[in-house]
Amino acid sequence: MKSEILYPGAFPMVRIALASGESVKAESGAMVAASPTIDVESKLEGGFLSALSRKVLTGEKFFFQTLRAARGAGEVLLAPTVPGEIVIMELDDIHEYMVQKDGFLAGAESVKIESRMQSLSRGLLGGEGFFILKISGKGPLILNSFGAIHKVELKPDEEYIVDNSHLVAWTATTTYTIEKASAGWIASFTSGEGFVCRFRGPGLVYIQSRNPGGFGAWIRQFIPVSE
Amino acid sequence: MESSKESSAPGSTSASTSTFPNALCFGSDLPAAGVPCQVEVTPVGLHLLLPQPVGGMRTDETVPFAGMSVKAGGFDHDQLVVTWPHQGNSRTLYLKDPSLIASFRRSAPPELIPHLERTAGKVRRVRLGRRTLLAIAVGAPLALVVTLWLGSDTLVNMAVSRIPVEWERAIGESASREFIAGQTVVKEGAAVAAVQEITKRLTDQIPDNPYQFQVTVVRSDTVNAFALPGGYVVVFTGLLKKAESPDEVAGVLGHELNHVLLRHGLERIVKTLGIVAVVTIFTGNQEGLVGLAQRLGIELITLKFGRDQEREADLGGLRLVHRAKISPDGMIRFFERLSPADKQQVELLSTHPMSAARAERLKTEAASLPRQEPEPFTFAWKGVQAAL
Repeated sequence: MKSEILYPGAFPMVRIALASGESVKAESGAMVAASPTIDVESKLEGGFLSALSRKVLTGEKFFFQTLRAARGAGEVLLAPTVPGEIVIMELDDIHEYMVQKDGFLAGAESVKIESRMQSLSRGLLGGEGFFILKISGKGPLILNSFGAIHKVELKPDEEYIVDNSHLVAWTATTTYTIEKASAGWIASFTSGEGFVCRFRGPGLVYIQSRNPGGFGAWIRQFIPVSE
Repeated sequence: MESSKESSAPGSTSASTSTFPNALCFGSDLPAAGVPCQVEVTPVGLHLLLPQPVGGMRTDETVPFAGMSVKAGGFDHDQLVVTWPHQGNSRTLYLKDPSLIASFRRSAPPELIPHLERTAGKVRRVRLGRRTLLAIAVGAPLALVVTLWLGSDTLVNMAVSRIPVEWERAIGESASREFIAGQTVVKEGAAVAAVQEITKRLTDQIPDNPYQFQVTVVRSDTVNAFALPGGYVVVFTGLLKKAESPDEVAGVLGHELNHVLLRHGLERIVKTLGIVAVVTIFTGNQEGLVGLAQRLGIELITLKFGRDQEREADLGGLRLVHRAKISPDGMIRFFERLSPADKQQVELLSTHPMSAARAERLKTEAASLPRQEPEPFTFAWKGVQAAL
């Protein structure tokens, strides 16, 4: 499996070359085009119950699609729904990533995807819901963001504050707590930040330069209200 | 597998590693994503192996147990985090492999043991907390459904008992008027007189009857009769034609009157409305799987409910018929004769599903009642049927 990002920037696409027999799992609906040698299979990642819990609890797509080069080598083109960057990471079986539910685009077949529950306060206030994806294993993992993706590197015990709606992914060695953006409750909300996540190293945090919720609220004002 | 775009994540450094990395090493002089390394537990400490030097880390380092501190880490609290001082700073190692953690615990010197035990205790607490949260998240809606299912009869009965008879009559009257408007009503004649006589025989035996029973005979070949809340009973001429004796009609009427007396119609209305209201309030919407489960739940409950009501009305009807000095055999015989093969023509069967068990129950009940000589009706049944 060789992957390459086409048209980097706001409207990228990823081209994945598969050797005969190789496969890639992708978010369902992510396929743009494929060689005729590629079969599209729908698969319940991690079994039916796990897939069902992912669907019901994280709002993530019930099925991942598996694109398999069943009849010889070929390529697939994948793209996310929202405008924004795509990054390819190489998992090495020791790094684990926590990924918010819209961040996953595709991964090698050897990449393992599980649903993980967060603590009560993180689930309620973190803006990511109670369940997030834990991605481990070996091979390429492809994430997408809304806007540009920005990597923050944290040394041991180094801290960084991130607005919760700008989170894409973080390493499992990084811990975080939810807190108010300002000292007072009123200031927290009037500043427009509400709750933020205080990350603590070591590890990496990937953030997106645009906030999907904020964009939705902004665009809503231009949509004519029908009676 | 390899990526043609140089990965923005770490780990690409270890791509050429022949040894399997089983730990991540962090430090202020090391990459933020951590350095994947191979860790071995030795009697004196930890032995760290790297394929090539990274940052300030050599390919082969031994860290003595002395000076180490431990805690739990990682998202699932399943990693052992080992920290030790290093050149005025500190190094941190995340161990993920359970067998590696186990061998660390075995080899650790006595001064580290209390720390390890405390860490293990904390991990267990975190896991228990998470499981409890999951159990609550799954259990609470389930408990609500079970409570509704089991406690609904009590709740419904409480609600129904507060509804005055006048309201019930108003509901029944409007429903009955609506139904009769589209039908041909038989206003007088032998059949009407006979039905009224049978009804009076039965209603005279009801103590403290709050209802003014009103029986309407409707011209239709449908073999059926039904009762609306408030005492509005409708009998189709098809039923009268099919019945071989007035005892049989009395049996059906006794059953229908008991639906009214036991306020089954109201119970049904309250129950259906109540479940829909609770479920809608609780879930906010009825989409997808959840909606399907709710709908199924409603249907199952109403089905069970209906069957219980039928049983109640059967037994109440049989006793009423007996009190009115009418032979209960007519009721049993009529139900038995309506074989399921007649289902298309006999609507009574679809609204009152017959089963062998139901007829058997009636027979057992009839046998337990004291024997008595039935009192005849004032009309000749053949004549009544001829007048239809």
